Amino acid sequence: MDTVASAFALEGHGLRRSFGDVHAVDDASIELERGRVTALIGPNGCGKTTLMLMLVGLLRPHAGTVMIDGIDPGSDGAGARARVGWMPDMLGTWDSLTCEETLVTFGRAYGANASDAAARASELLRRVHLSEYASQPSRVLSRGQKQRLSLARSLVHDPQVLILDEPASGLDPRSRVDLRELVRSLAADGKSVLISSHVLSELDEMVDDAVFMQAGRTLGSDAAALVTAARQRWKVVALAGEDIHSALANLSRDWSPDATAIADTSRANVQVVDAADAAALLAALVADGSRISAFGPVGSALESAYLSMEGERK
Amino acid sequence: MTATEAGPTQRATRSGPWRIRWHGVALVAGLELKQRVRSTKWKWALGVFFLIVGAVTALIISTYNRNNFGGGPGDVVFGVVLFFVLFLGLVVSPTLSATSINGDSNDGTLAPLQVTPLSAADIVVGKLLAAWVASLAFVVVALPFVIWSYIVSEAPVGAVLTTVMVVALELLVVCALGMGWSALTARTSASAVLTYVSVASLTFLTLVFFGLTYALVSDTATVRYYQPNWDEQTGELASPGCTYIESQEQVAHTERTWWLLALNPFVIVADAAPSNQDIVTERYPDQTMLGSIKYAVRGARLGPELVHNYCDTGTGTTPLLPEEQARREQLAGLGAVWPWGLLAHGVLACGALYVAVRRVAVPHGELATGTRIA
Repeated sequence: MDTVASAFALEGHGLRRSFGDVHAVDDASIELERGRVTALIGPNGCGKTTLMLMLVGLLRPHAGTVMIDGIDPGSDGAGARARVGWMPDMLGTWDSLTCEETLVTFGRAYGANASDAAARASELLRRVHLSEYASQPSRVLSRGQKQRLSLARSLVHDPQVLILDEPASGLDPRSRVDLRELVRSLAADGKSVLISSHVLSELDEMVDDAVFMQAGRTLGSDAAALVTAARQRWKVVALAGEDIHSALANLSRDWSPDATAIADTSRANVQVVDAADAAALLAALVADGSRISAFGPVGSALESAYLSMEGERK
Repeated sequence: MTATEAGPTQRATRSGPWRIRWHGVALVAGLELKQRVRSTKWKWALGVFFLIVGAVTALIISTYNRNNFGGGPGDVVFGVVLFFVLFLGLVVSPTLSATSINGDSNDGTLAPLQVTPLSAADIVVGKLLAAWVASLAFVVVALPFVIWSYIVSEAPVGAVLTTVMVVALELLVVCALGMGWSALTARTSASAVLTYVSVASLTFLTLVFFGLTYALVSDTATVRYYQPNWDEQTGELASPGCTYIESQEQVAHTERTWWLLALNPFVIVADAAPSNQDIVTERYPDQTMLGSIKYAVRGARLGPELVHNYCDTGTGTTPLLPEEQARREQLAGLGAVWPWGLLAHGVLACGALYVAVRRVAVPHGELATGTRIA
């Protein structure tokens, strides 16, 4: 891997961009660490795509700075763009080109020679499970397959930074699992990945960090703290009729009744420090005689953080 | 994977939207052509074009053989077929280029190219080259008929080469104009219409403006008419020789407006064809179609003719008057018009390409209304 002076693979500070009267991004800052996957989360129209366009060097910020791998896209646009892979929100395919030709063409656009580009194309097609479509024109692909081709296209030049705009939309469950594994393996190779999605539950298992965005602004560390807190909330469900509330109270735990059934004493949410603490708690509850039927983290941490932010907004 | 790991980052150099490399241009042109050539409609269009040009050529030749107006074959068949090919080329070329930037942008296929290290100039010139090659395919398909009409005609030697070359350059200009409009507008229908309006302006509006400004550039001058000495009673020729009358007439100073004609693609093509050189020596030079257009435009460039000679009774043996001789020599001596016309079109084309590169360059500053990047 290249050794570059800057600490982050990609950083953007104080970014602002408007389209006419619409302030798409008002004040956004983001830092992507090497080898980590960062989620970009926010409601529709909060400026996620605009922020990503600025980060990949397609859109000039009205204010703020972007540094990609230590390069300012303003002074060396092509150099900066060569280091970023981008999978757009909007699916564009060259209908008459085969999948292989699409990837070879893009590999060559990034400066690879014909044979390297061909080798890389077949490797990527295998990686996104499109090998059998290699010589098919891309118009025959389904939406999900086009999505995977688009993902492969963003990887042709083995970029240090990968920006994925809604990569999971339109993917079947199997492909989502594949996407998660691909993203994790890229991070393991030291790449930085920024990923936006509406399906927060699947981001949970994929991302290391989260950046929340609302009305064109990135929310700072309090939002990240919400995610950490959410990761420490576990759900306890005992058999009907059991009184888990008093059991938790006896163990001096920080607990709350289930929000959907406050009166039901067999269900509760409890705060734990980490997985070991959770295991200790379960052992204590069982030793106490509680008959536990379900025990695990509450839903999606990102989702609950996101929803609690939504609550604060009101 | 390891082979490509270091490659792209090492090769990337500091660069702006104007850096152009053959590698990038060829890549974009290849991408565009692959997209088009594989569409079956494209082959059909070429086939239909072949049939239309073939039918028109055959009809013109057979019509002309039945009624050739008493003269030799001349270059009328060649001229008409050539103009027909130019006309169809001007109609077809905008459809290829006028949607190439905003169409790709709407399909989401422009941004993935822009995000690569390819420069805006690579993308624009590559697309232009592809559109031009596609237009040239139509010219190539029409070429057998152009050559056929040339063989049937008595067109001057070298006419095929120069005219086809100029037709090709005119199509390049139209492709460039289409690129400019497709970069400026968000909707493909708007850019197609604007490109057709541009082509129509060059083709028709130049003629219309030339005609409409006729009165504006007219003033009164003394015009001298030479005519035979007719006997008023008998209507016979009274005596050999000529006499003249003078009258005050409105004449148009087309030397001020002739350049409007030089902007016309058809005039440019006609002017580029080598033509009859007997204009200085013969009272009645060979009437050729392309040559007539050429000398009409050059005549307009010289301004009004103030001496007219009607003394010749049809024999063609009356020597030219000194004034006539001088004007003929001036006409023959005038430089070609077509390089200026092409130059003007070249300036327009470069302007259009400049606009296109500015619009395609990333990062985008301001966006055209209605466009989105991705």
